[in-house]
Amino acid sequence: MTRYDCDQVRDLLPAYVLGALERDEEAAVREHLATCDLHAEAAELGGVVPYLAETVDPVEPPAALRSKIMALAAADLEARRAQAPVPAPAVVPAPVAAPRAAAPERRGFRLSWSFAFQAAAVAVVVALGALSLNLQNRITGLEGDIAAARAYETAVNNVLAAAAEEGSQTVVLGPGEGFASGGIAAIRADGSVVLAMHDLDPTVGTEVYEAWVIIGSDAPIPIGNFGVASAGTASFTSAPTPAGAGAIVALTREPGPGALTPTLPIISLGTAIGPTS
Amino acid sequence: MDGPGELRTTAPIEELDRAVLVRVTAGELHALEELYDRYRAMAYSIALRITGEPAAAEDVVQDAFLGVWRHADRYAEARGSVKTWLLSIVHHRSVDAVRRRRPTTELPEPEASPPEQLVLPDVWTEVARGIDAAAVQSALASLSDVQREALELAYFGGLTQTEIAERTSTPLGTVKSRMRLGLLAMRRGLEMGLER
Repeated sequence: MTRYDCDQVRDLLPAYVLGALERDEEAAVREHLATCDLHAEAAELGGVVPYLAETVDPVEPPAALRSKIMALAAADLEARRAQAPVPAPAVVPAPVAAPRAAAPERRGFRLSWSFAFQAAAVAVVVALGALSLNLQNRITGLEGDIAAARAYETAVNNVLAAAAEEGSQTVVLGPGEGFASGGIAAIRADGSVVLAMHDLDPTVGTEVYEAWVIIGSDAPIPIGNFGVASAGTASFTSAPTPAGAGAIVALTREPGPGALTPTLPIISLGTAIGPTS
Repeated sequence: MDGPGELRTTAPIEELDRAVLVRVTAGELHALEELYDRYRAMAYSIALRITGEPAAAEDVVQDAFLGVWRHADRYAEARGSVKTWLLSIVHHRSVDAVRRRRPTTELPEPEASPPEQLVLPDVWTEVARGIDAAAVQSALASLSDVQREALELAYFGGLTQTEIAERTSTPLGTVKSRMRLGLLAMRRGLEMGLER
């Protein structure tokens, strides 16, 4: 990086505080100011710059931008939670408890839907491909992980598209106690729920995952169900529901379709934020 | 007006903003919503003024708020208000968006972390808060035409000082001088507004 002396920096200060330097020049000035007493002069000139922003007439952005930003932030938060899962609060009104078979052993893989992850996973697969046959199982597992990541990414994109619609709310679903599953959902203005989930145990036989909306202290309302294959991801869209602001979306595993009350434990749970103002 | 330290005041809205940013740092989505609702119009207006394109302005605002969401822990209270920090990110990224249209410019990807704030606030900045848009317009109107043009091309045009010199067919040294004198004149104009 270019290094400037004090006289050079003083000469560049007006352009610096206005953001009118090339970025490399700007970085060099910033570095100099970190160790130089020209700070007072920079502050004297720069103090008025924020007021230039006040001269712009306010223009409202499109309403959908709010939903899009919140959905992306929710997805980002969900990805962070997938890195370090924390138990979700158990706040479900008196559902019926029922015994449940032990969950099958998990693969211990934390799903991330980012492109960066996919690129890294692909690189790992390529590298392993050159090794001996006893690594084949590992490669097969990673390939499955990549397929799962891609499926989840598609599901998330569906959620983001729904979240960007005017009036949509966003839900980040955290894992229930003892589970690693998570996801995001959008609740459209008509109450229909678009859901993307990862790290779900595969369903067996007639088993399904049932999605619920919970409004206030009312009993959970079943909104639809789906099966899950070995990839552990799911994409689901419900019919319109009564879900409004602050609704809770929850997921349980049921012995078969048609459950009217949720069977504990809660697999995943989250509260809606929004809606778009 | 290098006022004494005791003149330093902190408006309630700034305290609220700082509290909201703490919640953003903790990953609270409602806090980001609150911040967005408070500053969305201002952020979008600045981005739209600089980029001149609604789609580009939306991208900038989205990128800026997600940058704040991911890097709220980098905000330093000593460097000024949350509003100034946020809008400096919007400005920086708007300028990047404009410069990215140049055929030969290499810029960091927009996913890069938010820029450091350029300068520390001084005492005057603190006490001058509360100045309204009319006072700022008045201060800006007190500048000479060439000074105002230099400031506007720099701040809203996304141009570098070298590009301003080329655009206005003016020696670079003169452009630097106009920007410096323009900033100082605007400061004097705002101070006069405060004294009235």
